[in-house]
Amino acid sequence: MALITEFHPLEADKLLELSAQRCKDGWRLVQILGTNTENGVDLTYSFMKDNVIENFCIPSVKPEDPIPSVTGDFLVAFVFENEINELFGLSIQNIAIDFGGKLYRKSMDKPFTIISPEQKAAREKAAKAKAAAEAAAKAAAAKKAAAASAPKDPEAERAALEEKIKNMPPEAAAKVRAAMEAKAKREAAEAGKAGE
Amino acid sequence: MGSFKLGKMTLGGLFKKPETTLYPIEKKTPPPGLKGHVVNHIDDCILCGICMRRCPTGALTVDRAEDIWSIDRFHCIQCYSCVRECPRHCLSMEPEYHFPSEKKFVSAYRVPPRKKPTPATKPAAPAAEKKEDPKPEEFQAEKPSEA
Amino acid sequence: MSNATVIPFGPQHPVLPEPLHLDLVVQDETVVEAIPQIGYVHRGLERLVETRDYHQFIYVAERICGICAFGHSYGYAETIEKLLKVEVPERAQYLRVIWHELSRIHSHILWMGLAADAFGFESLFMHCWRLRERVLDIFERTTGGRVILSVCRVGGVARDIEASELAHIKDVLDGIKDEYNQLCKAFLEDTSVKNRLVGIGYISKEDAHAMGMVGPFLRASGVNYDCRILGNGAYGKLDYEPIISNDGDCYARVKVRALEVVQSIEMIEQAIATIPDGDVIVPVKHNPEDGAEACNVLEQPRGECFYYAKGNGTKNLERMRMRTPTAANVAGMTVALKGCDLADVNMIVLTIDPCISCMER
Repeated sequence: MALITEFHPLEADKLLELSAQRCKDGWRLVQILGTNTENGVDLTYSFMKDNVIENFCIPSVKPEDPIPSVTGDFLVAFVFENEINELFGLSIQNIAIDFGGKLYRKSMDKPFTIISPEQKAAREKAAKAKAAAEAAAKAAAAKKAAAASAPKDPEAERAALEEKIKNMPPEAAAKVRAAMEAKAKREAAEAGKAGE
Repeated sequence: MGSFKLGKMTLGGLFKKPETTLYPIEKKTPPPGLKGHVVNHIDDCILCGICMRRCPTGALTVDRAEDIWSIDRFHCIQCYSCVRECPRHCLSMEPEYHFPSEKKFVSAYRVPPRKKPTPATKPAAPAAEKKEDPKPEEFQAEKPSEA
Repeated sequence: MSNATVIPFGPQHPVLPEPLHLDLVVQDETVVEAIPQIGYVHRGLERLVETRDYHQFIYVAERICGICAFGHSYGYAETIEKLLKVEVPERAQYLRVIWHELSRIHSHILWMGLAADAFGFESLFMHCWRLRERVLDIFERTTGGRVILSVCRVGGVARDIEASELAHIKDVLDGIKDEYNQLCKAFLEDTSVKNRLVGIGYISKEDAHAMGMVGPFLRASGVNYDCRILGNGAYGKLDYEPIISNDGDCYARVKVRALEVVQSIEMIEQAIATIPDGDVIVPVKHNPEDGAEACNVLEQPRGECFYYAKGNGTKNLERMRMRTPTAANVAGMTVALKGCDLADVNMIVLTIDPCISCMER
């Protein structure tokens, strides 16, 4: 049997109900993890039974939001909850064995919420590049739409092209003319089809 | 009173060759693929800096202005990434571990100036201008103080 | 009214293998409660994903633990391959399984040596570690490193093992078998060893499941769970039955690990016989998509290890998480320590095979 993994969102108030249900059904709590994002910390709870892993993510938890502890159902969670309290500065309440902030000897408070300056610069650069790419894509799409809607003037185009190929060597000029004629034929066929 | 479970191995140990080697009098020959230390065939190096970008610990420094390729052997983790990524295949790993030392240092090598390739249309450069490539010298740069 | 004393145990203690602190509440030589404290080797390695790209992070992942080094790089590479939807060639999968099973053999023999040292049988400890050197020599010949192999890469493995080397591996393992059987007899049938192990640190099947325990610690209490059954990589093509014991005490844990070594040797021989030809790596150049997530489990020598990766569109990952088996076993350890003698504390702590540096990264 192969491993199946699933990801679902979750709300903070449904957490205790979910964990009680899973405990009764024989699922195991695998781990609890926190990811630092701009809007807070995303908490992910993973449950496993047989060959299925289900991950439930509570998005954007702020330090003042109270999250209940699941150590009532799964004692193994105390390690992870203490770690999250200390490294991310959240407040998970009623942990069965609570270290009170002394689990790790840290040199600074809430270390995983701190973004170093190089990292900030790298993230800003990536965001700028993404925005620029989006803007360029939008401009290209707009240009394409404009070009498609404007009526084409084949005569004017042909005159402009003739000017250009006057200076080219004869074989290239013949090739360009042949390509132009093929293009004109194709456009006429398309115009005919659109008109039907 | 049970039998000595380890009796056979213990008696055998009296007669067999010992498993340990008398280091440093006898040294074990390292197997050929051992990742010992990184060596650069400096004549082929083009100072592109790809190895510096791929190194996970930042042990390599390539200075194009000064023509110097240097490695901090104390930071090298012998991962083989630089050897794999080098486009000229001038890097390789030798199977000897670097000797221990009392002070930290950085090993720097000067890349010899290479003869510029002559383009097809221009006339060929006269033979008298060819310079002798000097032997690459290793010098020990001062390890910069860490912040 | 008997007196309750609190004895601090660790992190520096001659019999304790790992830097773990326990506050033992003791009443007249019997331990009533044990409160663990960790945090002595926290290095914050999960934050390094922000400055190293996903190809370079594999070298950091390897160095989380010296004993499970290959296991961490294997699990990390598999997770990133799932995230990027990359298909690894078959020969690379078989090679990874061979190295991982060799890693399991060396880890279990190392642990058995430590267990022997813990109950005072030092010559048995030396013999175990002597046998382990043969496995480390195989690693050195095939990968170039003894403990930190640096041979697994995202997309496959860095080196190939030729047929002559595979035959050499088989010869070395055959040579180990005879001496290993003698060591097993010393562990499992010797009366003085049995006096130290039987009936100590009992955990029932229901407790084991409720505590979320993993690995040989769990299988010794009768629960049939082993990730290799899930068939990731080449494990799906090898014939395999998990080893389970129903006793639940320290003796059962030693037995499960001792028999797992013999089973690993058989799995390696199967893999060597059926390994296909082909490439060993596919080039991987693209970045993970923004918001893509992947998770994976791997059966390391100490138990099930869970990996989670999340991408953000650049070549650095957004988040990488490894939940190691010892983190799940610590709760079980505190339950096992209740009601035991003070002299048995280090034996019980050792039988969960703790790896605190993995647990705290």
